[in-house]
Amino acid sequence: MLWAALLPDGLPDDPRPRTDALDGLATWCLQFTPRVAVLEALLACPAVVMELEQSVRLFGGKRRLVERVREDCTSLGVRQLSWAPTSLAALAVARSGLSNGFAKPLAQLLDALPLETLTQVAAHQATLARLGCRTLGQVRALPRGGLSRRFDAQLLATLDQAYGLRPETYQWAELPETFHAKLELMARVEHAPALLFGARRLMLQMAGWLMARRSGVTAFTLRWCHDAMRAKSAGDGGELTVRTAQATRDTEHLIRLLAEHLGKVELLAPVGDLELLATEVQTLEEKSFSMLPEARQSGESLALVLERIAARLGPDRVLRPVILEDHRMEWMCRWRPAPEPAPRATCRAVNVPQPTFILPKPLRLATENSRPLYQGVLQLLAGPHRVEGGWWDRTTEADDNQQETTRQTARDYWVAVSEHAGVLWIFQMRLAKEETAWFLHGTFA
Amino acid sequence: MAISLSWADGEHTPEAPQPSSRGSVPRWPVALPHAVESAIWRGDALGTPVTTTIGTGFEALDAELPGHGWPCQSLTEVLQVQSSVLEWRLLAPAMRTLVGQGKQIVIVGPPKPPHLPGLRHLGLDERHIVWVQADKPVERLWATEQLVKANAAGMLVSWLPQARQEQIRRLQVCAQSCDGPVILCRPAAAEHEASAAPLRVQARLGIDWELHIHLLKRKGPPHEGELTLPSVPGGLDAILTPRLRHPSRLIAARKRQGQGQGQGLPQDISREFSHAVGSPSPRRPSGRSAPAH
Repeated sequence: MLWAALLPDGLPDDPRPRTDALDGLATWCLQFTPRVAVLEALLACPAVVMELEQSVRLFGGKRRLVERVREDCTSLGVRQLSWAPTSLAALAVARSGLSNGFAKPLAQLLDALPLETLTQVAAHQATLARLGCRTLGQVRALPRGGLSRRFDAQLLATLDQAYGLRPETYQWAELPETFHAKLELMARVEHAPALLFGARRLMLQMAGWLMARRSGVTAFTLRWCHDAMRAKSAGDGGELTVRTAQATRDTEHLIRLLAEHLGKVELLAPVGDLELLATEVQTLEEKSFSMLPEARQSGESLALVLERIAARLGPDRVLRPVILEDHRMEWMCRWRPAPEPAPRATCRAVNVPQPTFILPKPLRLATENSRPLYQGVLQLLAGPHRVEGGWWDRTTEADDNQQETTRQTARDYWVAVSEHAGVLWIFQMRLAKEETAWFLHGTFA
Repeated sequence: MAISLSWADGEHTPEAPQPSSRGSVPRWPVALPHAVESAIWRGDALGTPVTTTIGTGFEALDAELPGHGWPCQSLTEVLQVQSSVLEWRLLAPAMRTLVGQGKQIVIVGPPKPPHLPGLRHLGLDERHIVWVQADKPVERLWATEQLVKANAAGMLVSWLPQARQEQIRRLQVCAQSCDGPVILCRPAAAEHEASAAPLRVQARLGIDWELHIHLLKRKGPPHEGELTLPSVPGGLDAILTPRLRHPSRLIAARKRQGQGQGQGLPQDISREFSHAVGSPSPRRPSGRSAPAH
């Protein structure tokens, strides 16, 4: 049996937040094994214990499993992580400040530990001390019959369980259906990016919960409560919902996304409490490991990095094109935010030449002797290519008294060349009063 | 090889580990494995890249570039006087190769909105292009750096009109772990600043459907003169008549005419160019029968 005991640090004193915090840690532990229990939640030194023997192979060996647990433990505020063959032994070892309960044979190791490492033994510490007992070994050396008559049955039972002579029974922690975790910050936080430190701990818990449920998150909400010393106008707090395109439980990615979003938040008052909710959860398909080495994939995927860029610049700044069936240049191509799914229908390719850059709005050109000018006189090469139509495309313009207009165009496009500005796509259009004007609309860059 | 080092002729140079490549003697009796070949640098050769390259699609340019293509895992600067004049024409052949392999092209902060129907003529399609709309210099640099670090794009083209030396250096360090080519489009004024990019290309537009390329910096001997690469923007190839193949002659003719007559007349235009670019029905452009110059 491989038991781990985790001693959390800095727990709140009130019973409710205290059990919540311990349950949060237990939730995180549930990603490794279903056998997780919270011990002595309301006593002085509570602990979370878990049994990992069955999970060793799944996580790639004992050493890697231990490393993995240890790595995240510190960010979760665990003071001491210890390993032993029984849960009470692990707890006793943890309380005495050791970490490895496999260094010596179990009985030898436990014999040397002081009485207060096991709560049921510590309850009789005064009496036992008067008998001359300072360590568990000395208690165990006393005659069993006398011990059971003079002390309660708990003492012997606990000792036997710790030494592995009697089976242990536990109420296993259960995995909650929805994820919801709270954290009271150690100090008041005044800048939003500094919330990330506390949020990180909640994120790790959420990652553990997602792992245990074999799911990924597509949206999560971080709420913060202002502390009591706030201005009246500041309100109770605020919240921030972060969405991802693909369901994920990659903590680093989620934290970086959250960091981008928090960078834009301005806190109205110092924050005392944090709360994290997994709002949208999807089951995630597990990737099976291949025996053959896979192609090198050192970086992250393009979708992830685009998502991060969109988080900072804004979702409408990372774009992918969609071709539309229209022959007017402005409406041939639409740019949609990258995470949106691509439309299924494919459009016919246009066979006429088209520029590679267009101007957002056609630029009116000056003329000289009826020849258009743009960085010098333009030499027209090929044309005219008449583009006409658009009577079906009705819009209402706000400034124009809600009057309905159509985006009707009638233009003659030409390919023109300039010595400096390259090959251009310009058009001639008829204006009012029998006038015509030249416009620059794109470049063949 | 026909090229020899003139300064090495007169004096006796101590025998280098590799045989000299003078004259037309074959360098090695047997072909060396590529790994060994690429590790040896000869005095007259272009710097051999350790990295992979993507062919540029222009034979003349490939011949002058170390590794015969746009280098991966490093920056390439394209300097031009005016932006949005020739970027796609220069880079599209390489992009076409990458898109063929299913890789994504990411462009950061182009000076004008790209127009997909035109890009389709160059072999790009809507599934393989992403436009990151970054306007401020800081945003451009940040987005570029994130994309370079992520190493997820097949090719990254970024327009950096205002980038300082140290920023380019930082990108170059990041780019060493990026598998695709990273192209930075910068103004011609950057020519006079030092840059950490191992390859710097100065590009200029020739009026007769040409690109003039001068390599400001490359691994190997300095590049002298200018390369002239034929390049017709995609889609225009089909409608160019023999006369339109040389717009410089048309311009010269117009100037002569302008001097002779004092002013060009509007009807000149309609008389000179009677053929259409495209028509609703897909028939061959009638302009082919236009009188040759």
